[in-house]
Amino acid sequence: MTDDQKKELKLLAYAHWNISKTLDTENGIRDIEVLKGVVSMPGGGSLTCLLGEKLANKKDLYSQLGWFIYYTLEGEPFNSKNKALILLVLAWVLDHYNLQYELEEISEYIENLDTMRQGNADISSWFSEHIQ
Amino acid sequence: MKRKIIRVGSSRGILIPREVTRAMGWEFGTITDLEVDEEKNQLTLETAEVDIPDELEKDQLKQFEELAKQHKKLLEALDD
Repeated sequence: MTDDQKKELKLLAYAHWNISKTLDTENGIRDIEVLKGVVSMPGGGSLTCLLGEKLANKKDLYSQLGWFIYYTLEGEPFNSKNKALILLVLAWVLDHYNLQYELEEISEYIENLDTMRQGNADISSWFSEHIQ
Repeated sequence: MKRKIIRVGSSRGILIPREVTRAMGWEFGTITDLEVDEEKNQLTLETAEVDIPDELEKDQLKQFEELAKQHKKLLEALDD
């Protein structure tokens, strides 16, 4: 793993721990290999938007978010509240990019996402259509 | 709550009642902080703070904490 990937993994673990503390739900990583997969994009890349990098191209941002959402939903790296983790991270990233969004709408989308029918590219497209 | 100091090998110890460990959410292996205030002749035992890795940005972690509180209802409503 690269240093960025390790940092992103720790960041996600912290965000999840925070959710567990706030909601009084089960804490802990269920599968560390899945979590490594979430932060490792093809070609050795990583979710740099999580670390605050301002990607010049929105397409790259939505591509990272699509990857993050798909592999977190499909692999469920944490013991509980994986969808809540996705929503919290999205709120932070979208705020960081000063983008206009409706968190309720995103929450509904995440809740109903079926990874058997929608892949990371579909998720990226949804974001490019729904986020200003 | 009165507790008697007992011998544990060559050390001294105090048994913590189950209702206290339950209330504090302490399990075997939980790390605690023990602080002595000699002036007040007082001892404080509390859950140790989680160590934050140095490479993470404290501001960002704080923002996660605030967002989790702000959107608690939405986060709670989502399935596992």
